[in-house]
Amino acid sequence: MSHILVIGHGPATHRLLRGLRRHGHDGTVTVLSAEHHPVQHRPLLTTVLQGRLDAALLRPEPEPGARVLTGTVATAVDTARRVVHARQGDTVTAHPYDVLVLACGARPAIPPLPGVDDRTGRLAPGVTTLREVADCDRIQGAAVTVLGGGPLGVETASALALRGTATTLVCSGPHPLHERLGGTGAALLTARLQKAGVEVLGGRRAIAREPGHLLLDDGTKAPADSLVLCTGVEPEVRLARAAGIRVHHGIVVDDALRTSDSRVHAIGDCAEHAGRTVAGYESALTQADTLAAVLTGREAAHRPTPAVLRLRTHAVDVACVGPLAAFRRSGVRTVGLLDPAGRRYARLALDGDRIAAAVLLGLPEAIATVSHLYRRGLPVPSDRLNLLLGIRSQLSPAEDDDRTDSVVCLCNHVSRQQLAGAWELGARTVPALIRATRATTGCGSCTERVERLCAGWADASGRELEPTP
Amino acid sequence: MTATLIVIGHGMVGHRLVDALRELDRDRRWRVVVLGEEREPAYDRVRLSAYLGGRSRAELSLVAPEFAADPRIDVRSGTPAVHVDRRARTVRTADGDVLRYDALVLATGSRPFVPPVPGRELGNCFVQRTLEDADALRAAVRPGRPAVVVGGGLLGLEAAQGLQLLGMQPHLVEAAPHLMPAQLDVEAAHILQHGADRLGLHLHCGTTVTAVHAGPHGAARSVTLSDGTVLDTDLVVFAAGVRPRDDLPVAPALRLGDRGGYLTDVLCRTSDAHVWAVGECAAVLGRCHGLVAPGYRMAQSVARQLTGRPSEPLDAMDTSTELKLLGVHVATFGRTPGEDGSAIEMTFREGVSRYAKVFLRRDTGALLGGILAGETGSRADLAARVGRPPATDLERVLFPDPSF
Repeated sequence: MSHILVIGHGPATHRLLRGLRRHGHDGTVTVLSAEHHPVQHRPLLTTVLQGRLDAALLRPEPEPGARVLTGTVATAVDTARRVVHARQGDTVTAHPYDVLVLACGARPAIPPLPGVDDRTGRLAPGVTTLREVADCDRIQGAAVTVLGGGPLGVETASALALRGTATTLVCSGPHPLHERLGGTGAALLTARLQKAGVEVLGGRRAIAREPGHLLLDDGTKAPADSLVLCTGVEPEVRLARAAGIRVHHGIVVDDALRTSDSRVHAIGDCAEHAGRTVAGYESALTQADTLAAVLTGREAAHRPTPAVLRLRTHAVDVACVGPLAAFRRSGVRTVGLLDPAGRRYARLALDGDRIAAAVLLGLPEAIATVSHLYRRGLPVPSDRLNLLLGIRSQLSPAEDDDRTDSVVCLCNHVSRQQLAGAWELGARTVPALIRATRATTGCGSCTERVERLCAGWADASGRELEPTP
Repeated sequence: MTATLIVIGHGMVGHRLVDALRELDRDRRWRVVVLGEEREPAYDRVRLSAYLGGRSRAELSLVAPEFAADPRIDVRSGTPAVHVDRRARTVRTADGDVLRYDALVLATGSRPFVPPVPGRELGNCFVQRTLEDADALRAAVRPGRPAVVVGGGLLGLEAAQGLQLLGMQPHLVEAAPHLMPAQLDVEAAHILQHGADRLGLHLHCGTTVTAVHAGPHGAARSVTLSDGTVLDTDLVVFAAGVRPRDDLPVAPALRLGDRGGYLTDVLCRTSDAHVWAVGECAAVLGRCHGLVAPGYRMAQSVARQLTGRPSEPLDAMDTSTELKLLGVHVATFGRTPGEDGSAIEMTFREGVSRYAKVFLRRDTGALLGGILAGETGSRADLAARVGRPPATDLERVLFPDPSF
């Protein structure tokens, strides 16, 4: 019997609670949540922004068995006495633990720009980051500028353009995602964003936020009734550092997600495993799974998840698979495809016949196939052209669809069989399937597949009702 | 009844035309006068760097004994044409002879382009176009000493490699960001660059020579580059491309292409029904071709026209090349369109050892052409596949030996 105390109530914590329950954890669990509202699936915020997803779907069912103390801000960790000090409104509280889990997440990095925040660090009116549902409501007015050419900046700008907002995307690199996509690919991304209605201003730095616009270093005034800061995040390490726990960029953990203090673990965006921090949503969930196993006495070691970055935007399909450094590894071959007229681009790094890394743009079927081959470590078919142009090859996900045990939602481990079961029990629409299984509420990349499965089953049941001649 | 053909220029293309005409003119209708500016009759200019390396004039000669002995052919080497009167249909030679023609072929070739750099007329500044140029350069070679070659195209690379084989330490200066910008993309050039590094050539890409400076004896001693670098050198070779020779006095003047050269139609005909232009001086539909293969096609075409045979239009010229430079095999085949959106490009690269790019038609997927660099499949193999969709194992055709 041990008492587990968790600081932070994000998706990683939610996943951990579920894992502990499944593994039959027999001790108590307390969660200190600084926020008043429940856990949210942050990666889908831009989908909410588009108006395509009801914000309520971002809130999964609460996990039973854990005591969640909302509005409780942890202020200090005393590792010697094994107690966490916190503040609940005006009340100071103390929370003892046998095992402490730090799941503090990351906080947005706010660029030091005049007019963006007041001196106390509070964002000025009309300026917001994008971390929670309430932030979506803060984005108002006819013209919005998004600052930051990373994945979140691109997703946010294209979501806003899709809903009809006059949107400007400002980034310091020549194009958004320049480092990840390379010059040619990033230029095509800009072209696609422009076509989708996003005004892209690359190679510029912001100087100041002024009324109605963001002033840039070349004198341009980017119209901004609202300014959205997508300027990166920093792992939340302040509690750990103050407690004397080893911090590098994030809170340093070993394969058992253990920090330099053997009774303290860290998971999610605040943790640094194998030199990697803020490794993303999927990684946070597998860390939670591993920790649930470790804390219930099982042999488990965290292995870094295959890095697959898939942008959720309507403007363009973009995926970055594997580490960028793989392209420069010796012995690696590269295969590239460029279709300037179709604004399609791909670059694969092949190690033997396996994918070491890939960058793909405008090739949705190839993205699905390549990601699938990469995650499973499967060989690539010798016909590279067919592979990249998405002509169905032997190992295409379309065939995989037919296998009932195939996992549809990788984030929440929802199999096709589970979805079919929910359908049988009466979840006959996409929202109903999502509510029943939580499929799509992770990274959202399986949304189209769930829609396809749902439509297929609807078709099939329709046919069954037809009288047979 | 015989007619007179005058060919002005006895280079590779002019010679090929006369050779083809000898073959095709079975009725022995034509008598031919060839006016050559150089003292040497036609020779293989493509192998000029081999001559620099020690091959003899005889080895490079293109003139077979039966050609020299043909009574129909009158070759006048060292006798340039100085004037053409199109109304009278006459050519005046440097000797003062005035020759009447029924047909005139201009095959005057190109002259080296020397960028307008201060000091370019100093001693020990060379170009490489003729056997005499090569003789002069060879006489200036000092083993162990540095040399500067201006131009990282085909000619510049050949000159640099030639000087290197003669024991000099060449620097190569190319204005474009990479070698052979007219034929190769940046990645193919990268493979070539690796070969250059291996041979110890000093490359200065993305920069130009801004001045040549004289030493105590008035000959070139150093150059300044646009990036501020100063290179000590014993000699400078300008190999920064060629310009068509279209300045022969012709009255009335012939129309020229926008970028020079005698403007012709797809059959190498100028606006004068009696005058053709072939080789590097011809601007076929406005475009000049600096390679010998298109020139040979022009020569063949005109020889057919002169003997009353049909000839296919020369609008789609094969600009493919294949060569081994700096120990690196480099080739292009078929059409290599730019990034104009008409084609899909696929690239394959393996470290610094090999690279291939192929262009595929967007609509049919048919192979249009490509670029090969390093240890790739043969150009002939790939050229034979042009027009068809590529094989499913394209990568193995391009990179045949399995290092993977």
